[in-house]
Amino acid sequence: MVAISPDDGSAIDLREPARAALLSWLVPGLGQLYQGRRLKGWLFMTAIVGCLLAGLWIGGGRVAYCLWKPGARRLEFIGQAGIGSVALPALIQSWSLSTAGRPLLPGGWFAPPLMLHQPVAQAYAARLQRSEPALTFYRDARDNSLRSGADQLSVWYLALGRFFDVGTLYVTIAGLLNLLVIYDAWAGPLRDAEPAVAGDAGPPRGDRAKAGR
Amino acid sequence: MTPAHLATIAMPVVAHALDHVPGLLLGLPLLVAASLVFAATRHEDPAAIKRGALQWLGWLGAVLGGVLVAVLILASLA
Repeated sequence: MVAISPDDGSAIDLREPARAALLSWLVPGLGQLYQGRRLKGWLFMTAIVGCLLAGLWIGGGRVAYCLWKPGARRLEFIGQAGIGSVALPALIQSWSLSTAGRPLLPGGWFAPPLMLHQPVAQAYAARLQRSEPALTFYRDARDNSLRSGADQLSVWYLALGRFFDVGTLYVTIAGLLNLLVIYDAWAGPLRDAEPAVAGDAGPPRGDRAKAGR
Repeated sequence: MTPAHLATIAMPVVAHALDHVPGLLLGLPLLVAASLVFAATRHEDPAAIKRGALQWLGWLGAVLGGVLVAVLILASLA
């Protein structure tokens, strides 16, 4: 499939647009690199992955996660899901944590915070107690399950203050910007509406540029 | 040492370091990234991308700066 450059009317080979869009979703700019649009690929990768990493750094690695429970919906995840390399592990971690005993991905990255009284696997609780001593756990006498004795999100807010929100903003905006990048990989550059000029029934701007050469 | 351990150790250090950065400056990298992405998704030619990015930077800076001024005026009146 071919798109037309809005700058000089030249053809842009989009190769397989669906595959390119998927690659750009997984890693910003990767789809453009696959299409041979190197400058744009590296530019997107630098700008968006830079924002993503800065956000994760500012937010202590805690700001990208999926939590979708009544009363605790992480709406920012809708934006963050614009980057597949964030959305996929976040979804896996969220799914793993929803059933105590299921192992989490190594390192605990992108895991949602534990809610108060949430059941938790022994191994994960032990790991958290080492890394976040402020968290407490208790055994529920009714079913002998191990449960969280603290709201982990509050612990994160206490440690990070406003930087939790700043980090969240960075990662969310990176995800939203990547939607434009995915579209660019799918269909080529966005084009502004052609200005309506009375009596001008000529070809689109790209073709005009070609004709002028 | 797992990434989670590193993150926990890094959190207070990061928070302390960023405490010395004015809040407004934290928005500048986002503004630059958004301008670059907006321009690069509308152009293919490097020179046009550069021109477009500067235009977007001006627009976004003016709009967000305007909002900031309005908020500051409202805050001073309150």
